[in-house]
Amino acid sequence: MTTSATAPTTTITYDDKSVRQFMIASIIWGIVGMLVGVICATQLSWWQMNGKFLEALTFGAIKADGISFLTFGRLRPLHTNAVIFAFVGNMMFAGVYYSTQRLCKCRTASDLLSKIHFWGWQTIIVSAAVTLPIGLTRGKEYAELIWPINIAVALIWVIFAINFFWTLAKRNEPSLYVALWFYIATIVTVAMLYIVNHLSIPTSFTHSYPIFGGLQDALVQWWYGHNAVAFFLTTPILGIMYYFLPKAANRPVYSYRLSIIHFWSLVFIYIWAGPHHLLNTSLPRWLQMLGMLFSLMLWAPSWGGMLNGLLTLRGAWAKLRTDPVIKFFAAGITFYGMSTFEGPLLSIRAVNALSHYTDWTIGHVHSGALGWNGFMAAGMFYWLAPRLWKTKLYSVAAANMHFWIGLVGILLYVASMWTAGIMQGLMLGQVDTGGTTLKYTFVETLQAIQIEYILRSFGGLLFLTGFIICAWNVWKTARSGAAHNDSIEVAVPPKAARDTMTLRETLINDPVAHTLIGIALLCLWFFLPPHADKVALVLSALLVVKAVRTFHRRGSVWNEFHEKLLHNYMPFTVLVFVAVAIGGAVQIVPSLIVNRDKNVEGRLQELYTPLELAGRDIFVSEGCYNCHSQMIRMLKPDVMRYARADVADDFSHLGESLYDHPFQWGSKRTGPDLAREGGPIGSYEKTDENGNVIKDALGNPEMESYKYMRFGIRDNVWHYNHFMNPRQTSEGSNMPAYPWLFDKKTDFKSLTSKIAVQRKIGVPYPAMNQHEINDIARVQAREIADNLANAQVVLPSQQEHSGNALAQYLADREIVALIAYVQKIGAYREVESENPRETRPLDPDSYRPKETASTGTK
Amino acid sequence: MFSRVTHEDWTNIVPMIAFGVMFTVFLVTTIRALRLKPEERERLATMPLNEDSDR
Repeated sequence: MTTSATAPTTTITYDDKSVRQFMIASIIWGIVGMLVGVICATQLSWWQMNGKFLEALTFGAIKADGISFLTFGRLRPLHTNAVIFAFVGNMMFAGVYYSTQRLCKCRTASDLLSKIHFWGWQTIIVSAAVTLPIGLTRGKEYAELIWPINIAVALIWVIFAINFFWTLAKRNEPSLYVALWFYIATIVTVAMLYIVNHLSIPTSFTHSYPIFGGLQDALVQWWYGHNAVAFFLTTPILGIMYYFLPKAANRPVYSYRLSIIHFWSLVFIYIWAGPHHLLNTSLPRWLQMLGMLFSLMLWAPSWGGMLNGLLTLRGAWAKLRTDPVIKFFAAGITFYGMSTFEGPLLSIRAVNALSHYTDWTIGHVHSGALGWNGFMAAGMFYWLAPRLWKTKLYSVAAANMHFWIGLVGILLYVASMWTAGIMQGLMLGQVDTGGTTLKYTFVETLQAIQIEYILRSFGGLLFLTGFIICAWNVWKTARSGAAHNDSIEVAVPPKAARDTMTLRETLINDPVAHTLIGIALLCLWFFLPPHADKVALVLSALLVVKAVRTFHRRGSVWNEFHEKLLHNYMPFTVLVFVAVAIGGAVQIVPSLIVNRDKNVEGRLQELYTPLELAGRDIFVSEGCYNCHSQMIRMLKPDVMRYARADVADDFSHLGESLYDHPFQWGSKRTGPDLAREGGPIGSYEKTDENGNVIKDALGNPEMESYKYMRFGIRDNVWHYNHFMNPRQTSEGSNMPAYPWLFDKKTDFKSLTSKIAVQRKIGVPYPAMNQHEINDIARVQAREIADNLANAQVVLPSQQEHSGNALAQYLADREIVALIAYVQKIGAYREVESENPRETRPLDPDSYRPKETASTGTK
Repeated sequence: MFSRVTHEDWTNIVPMIAFGVMFTVFLVTTIRALRLKPEERERLATMPLNEDSDR
């Protein structure tokens, strides 16, 4: 749509100050996030990097085997959050603010909102940088921030959305360029994902429990987690690619048609692929299939986008030799293609059986994060810096050096992680010559990949070095020029040229109505019980016939609708929301209905006692889930390694984690799985007042049960020593030591509010007052502490304590609560369903042939 | 549980639905992209390059 030569004009001065601020913040936080990443990488090679190294640095002034805020479990969430939300987030905002103003030919709607957005986002990042190392976390990957920060994130995101859509409403360019489509999808979808996955009920100002538990929580988490990659790390960067790449190459995008197909298919498919993070687990099979298939289909749009990007450089390839911006963009888009090829590959169940829980996934993630996000960011920064400060790039040579150092760093990182992941995956599944026992212990597989771990640290260090060079180059560029805001004279289009569609016109029209009703009928066919599903299928077929006839009669209406959509941002936004919401609803709604204790087959989780719940919160707070899974997959190597030899079908069942808020299935095993770590309540031999064992008539010792204390596959002393010094019990382990757990007191007071919240979110605790809760917790703590004291455990910080005094001291400490939790992990009771095979609406997994109607319990 | 996972017949249906839905989305967007008017397509594709303020 063009504007007339006689149209009124106006002069626009763009707000480039916000762009500069976001860009500088991105570079600073990027360096911080990458530095923390390098530290985390070294911690996996040298356990001393969890705090012990400070002894050497301070010449003995600081003495500790481990320091709480420096352990891998606490720093790894800081690394991921810093890189995703601080580095890429700020980079994305810089790109969005710069390009949106120019594509809309108007200044950002509100400078005040831009300021609130910038400073609010930085405050959130600082809050995260403080809270995560001190152990305040929700225990869900990339969603660790505590609830007050979650609310701040949601509010600031809304501010950003208002500012963005308000700018669209004020625009002087009627058409919406494809980059704006990707930004719209980002804003709408991230808001939906973030809000749903962060629904929690607080127990205090710094702690909350997610409202979802077990399978539901796993599904919602990975629906969010996968789409955080999709809609935070991919779609906004694609928008940036579609804007900045043509400008850098000085030629239009290769195929605008392909960009349309790329956008709609990507947005529609991505949202369905989350369950591929839970393959071979106790997630219902139909959801696993759904996740795998939609992941495979992602190949098409992803490669369409990659080819569109690379072919935009046609005729400009010569610039690769001289222009660092083109270098970074070309390599970044190539890494996008490589990682989006690898992602679907890893989503094939058979491949995932090998790759999941290993470093292969880490390699995949970093080829995307370093290659795609990191290089696209660098390319954009080098393109923007001279324009934002109206000067020349200070050093093209330094930018080129950044490129090559970064590229070598990524390749070293990714190749070593592929090697480590595949090698460890194969070793974990290898059996001895008889085929009945596993060949390697877990620690042996870990030790075998130490060389790769060191190479990974070196690769990460190289990439970090490249970004430090970038920071220096941008700084010198800024110093050589002066902050500059572009001005432009634009024609003001008539109001009727844009945003004329009403909501009614958006939803009630032939194409949309037929599509929505069609999808609804297909969903009903999928979920309804036999016979009712056939009715839905017939209705779907009739609807297709009707749609074809309507199209023949009023085909022009369908064409006009899409044309109008390109000039109407609000209807466009509504339809994007509908597209992503359908994918989310189809996965999540059935799981909300199915994930009930009455539906579990065979095994139902036993409730945590108050002390075990306190211990679980310590487990979450220390970030143990970053290295330990609690999910024995339905795979022979998993079952052979972790399941009990005398129990049939001893993989993890859905009901075993039903009441886990949050779920702790994990996503990476740097240590072994813990699903069978716990055990039943223990018993002991009764003794008389002289300490002699009382025997029954047959001469067997009479046994008495503990009230609460459990014994898992290892005794309490083993766990005590393991947390004190993991290498004492597991030679070659890279786990940090946790000396502070032996001094820090357990928070007994908060248990009342925690159990009250657990009851609210559906965990069937009996009614208990605060005294009862406290008494139960104290009795269990004392049982464990007595057990430890009787075994004469050593407590270096309290060497004068022994016997009763030691037990009294330990009973109040976090170590005892954590041991109580570890000894409980995986405890369940067997249940018989009244009618386990009855078909239920909205539960596809309840459809099974009659002959397989056994409960599957042992 | 294990028998449920190995014997259920949903594996036959899910791929069909997934493919059908995706094929429809691809088809509709491809038709739309192909029917875009050439001059409009050209204008939209060159939008990032039409900025007077660029140096």
